[in-house]
Amino acid sequence: MRSNWLPEIVQRSETGPFVQEPEFDRLLTQTVRALVREHGLKFDPQDLVPSDDGLADRLYRAGVELLAQMGAYNQSTERRILLSRAEIEEAVAAAPSAVVLGEGKDAVVERHRGVESEIPCVMHSGPTGTPCSEMLHPFILQSCAQEPLVDCLGHGSVPSYLGEAIVAGSPQEILAARHQASLAREAVRRAGRPGMHIEDNAVSLTCAGKMASLDPEAGLRPSDGLLVAQIPELKTNYDQLSRVAHLRSLGMHIVNLITPLVGGLGGGAEGTAVVTVASHLLGALAYSASYHFMGHMHLLRSINTDRMGLWIQAVSAQALARNTPLVVVNDIYAASGLGTTDLLWEVAAGAIVGAVCGTHQHGTGATAGRETDHTSGLEARFQAQVAHAALGRSRREANGLVLECLRHYEEHLATPNLGRPFSEVYDVETLEPRPWWLEAFHEVGGALDGHELDVHHAWRRVRHDR
Amino acid sequence: MTDERLAARLKDALRSGDASAAETAARKALEAQADPLDLIRNVLVPTLTEVGKQFQEFEIFLPELMAAGDAAKAATVILEQAIAAAGKASSSLGTVVLGTVQNDVHDIGKNIVSTLLSSHGFRVVDIGRDVAPSAFLEAARREKAEIVAMSALMTTTRPAAQSTIRLFEEVEARDDFKIIVGGGSIDAAWAKAIGADGYAPDAASAVDLCRRLVGR
Repeated sequence: MRSNWLPEIVQRSETGPFVQEPEFDRLLTQTVRALVREHGLKFDPQDLVPSDDGLADRLYRAGVELLAQMGAYNQSTERRILLSRAEIEEAVAAAPSAVVLGEGKDAVVERHRGVESEIPCVMHSGPTGTPCSEMLHPFILQSCAQEPLVDCLGHGSVPSYLGEAIVAGSPQEILAARHQASLAREAVRRAGRPGMHIEDNAVSLTCAGKMASLDPEAGLRPSDGLLVAQIPELKTNYDQLSRVAHLRSLGMHIVNLITPLVGGLGGGAEGTAVVTVASHLLGALAYSASYHFMGHMHLLRSINTDRMGLWIQAVSAQALARNTPLVVVNDIYAASGLGTTDLLWEVAAGAIVGAVCGTHQHGTGATAGRETDHTSGLEARFQAQVAHAALGRSRREANGLVLECLRHYEEHLATPNLGRPFSEVYDVETLEPRPWWLEAFHEVGGALDGHELDVHHAWRRVRHDR
Repeated sequence: MTDERLAARLKDALRSGDASAAETAARKALEAQADPLDLIRNVLVPTLTEVGKQFQEFEIFLPELMAAGDAAKAATVILEQAIAAAGKASSSLGTVVLGTVQNDVHDIGKNIVSTLLSSHGFRVVDIGRDVAPSAFLEAARREKAEIVAMSALMTTTRPAAQSTIRLFEEVEARDDFKIIVGGGSIDAAWAKAIGADGYAPDAASAVDLCRRLVGR
């Protein structure tokens, strides 16, 4: 058994079979197609939260097969990193099933969740690496950190430093990374939760920029995390792997960010689910991840609250929940913007799927992550409340609820209501949501109450049981 | 005029993404005295336009689009050889140098644009991802490109598109090329602000934009 795969990954990156990237992509599409057929995987647009354990287990086996047949692709060396089935299974079995995130009184334990689990979801707020302005980012962070039901803080992608566009790879990136990391630390302090887990610094693009955000006093600490990304599909490079090397040496949390593209190289929903499972396994092995962000998204719309996206979350989460100890977090990307009821319906659909199928919660990339300053604490509060209310529900019940949610927003997905940015839905002086954003919150929460999902009160029971 | 039956065979091969069948169908059509330019204009381009639309509607996915693009490329090689052998001008609508900007390693969107532009008759020189401004300039000059197309997925990488345009201006090469931009982090306002000649929100509109820019 190995506790550190990194030297072996580098060795195989240097000596594995040379193949140009387009060829790797072609081979992947063919392999996925064959595995979908061989394992009898079938997307049903009416059964978005399938109660079929057999489907989940077949999907898991297909994911293992995909990684065993393809390996991963290192873009830096243009070589395949080949992995055997036994190695994959061993690394996954040895992966952490619970991690302590944050420190002191603000620490939370994020545990592996099973299907229809009673273990409460840990709530990671936005921003989900989505665009934020330099001026409003500190307020957005604080609005999230001050939410009592938020356990971990996300981070926004701020494209400027002192008003100038950040040039990636330049000293300016380092300065910006350090500055924005300090603002995240300051946000949790101001919220009275100085030990809260900060999951990333999304300003920096390069390994050097990411590492520059590490500063136990003024920036990120080992109790925080940094994202290490896979490039779609099943690809990595030395910049990403170098992050792993440094973060491991510090004992800092590594977050495996995967973004399989629905309709991309994996094909449709079934194939993308196979890629999604395989990407989690790769993150456990090559990145030694503490936890995993399941961030698949529609190739053209960059969302995962449509039928295919929800189904992929449901079946991939079940496959991983039933067959691995991994700690998995969903990563909701919605089409609508802040201030709209549509956004909350989209959030509810994603939250219910995750709560019932075995993930923790992460939200929300509103406006598909395109518009600036479309994150606030309120939609994170809503997501946590919905997830807590859905705890212990059956998959069949969840399917009915998700179809009900879809009824409210599905026809708007192609031309979504982009709503209003943070400065219009929050009072930036008091950092409280404005009345119209709260009204939307209560309207959708009330409607879900009508479907026997006690959004407004269930969280009390969950917090009490903790 | 192209034999309807042979044209249908070529169309089927393109739609099903069968490169070998597309090659055979193109050869058979040429043996039957079909005009290669007519085949490109009236069979290849409309069929790939239709496949592109299906992809935009999510009726088919990237693997099917890639396969259709590969099949079209295989047929085009055969047909271009016939055009050259007859001493006629190439059917190409123009040369596009295409890449993702410096520090951006996300290239699936760029690859889709490459497939659609190629299958619509453009000569595409794909210079890959994480492309330095000077590499765009060097490739544009070397390939005598009409269009330079840049893609940026991330907000943090899009300034590199601006740096690239600035370099073209500094060396007084800006007027020699049309420069267009696209990708997840870019919108029409940003494209205008950095002085690009055009912006395409998706792959299909990139084809329309390039056609407009070369006057076809």
